Amino acid sequence: MKIRDAIALINQMRNDGVIERYAIGGAVGATYYLEPIATLDIDIFVALRPEPGHVIVSPQAIFDYLGARGCTVDGEYIVIASWPVQFLSPPGPLGEEALAEAREVDVEGETASVFSAEHLAALALQTGRAKDKARLLQFIEAGALDAARFEAIIARHGLTDRWRRFEQQFLRDQS
Amino acid sequence: MTFEMREILKSKQEFRRKLAAMPYAEKLALLEQLRERALTIVASRSRDSSIG
Repeated sequence: MKIRDAIALINQMRNDGVIERYAIGGAVGATYYLEPIATLDIDIFVALRPEPGHVIVSPQAIFDYLGARGCTVDGEYIVIASWPVQFLSPPGPLGEEALAEAREVDVEGETASVFSAEHLAALALQTGRAKDKARLLQFIEAGALDAARFEAIIARHGLTDRWRRFEQQFLRDQS
Repeated sequence: MTFEMREILKSKQEFRRKLAAMPYAEKLALLEQLRERALTIVASRSRDSSIG
């Protein structure tokens, strides 16, 4: 039940050309920057290669590749090394930028690609559910964000007004 | 041990900072343990609900 084993197989899948690039998001990605955040699954954002002769990309190649290596499908998850893994397309331009600028980090000798702290925070702001707001607060309280980089990202993706509202709602007393 | 709230909050914050500063692989090992515990609790609940 090791996340490292799941990462190793995803790296192998990338090296074999099934996916172009990937980045870990969600709680497992945020855990790189924060204290461990309990989760039951792993979110992997992927850029998929279109199959030859097709314009529309399909996750079928991922299912085929991993299925041939003993992984099973469970609803919207693929179970790798006992962990349910969800493969997701990057959500819009912000997600695409986050994927392009993901950083490579070491996990016991295995390289893992993880969204930057600022992109994880911006994605949390954009998604805006209660748990996303809580995570954004965790990033702020932990001092994990480069403020200039974060503000540039949210300005680029039209999230400045939403950020001002978030500040008003949650950070007013701290200023 | 203290019951002074400010000290408790300070201590909690310090503990969170220490956890955050751990190497990623060690934090992932903690996630694995947390998940195993959660799954054990879920399994135990479903066993209990099937009794009687």
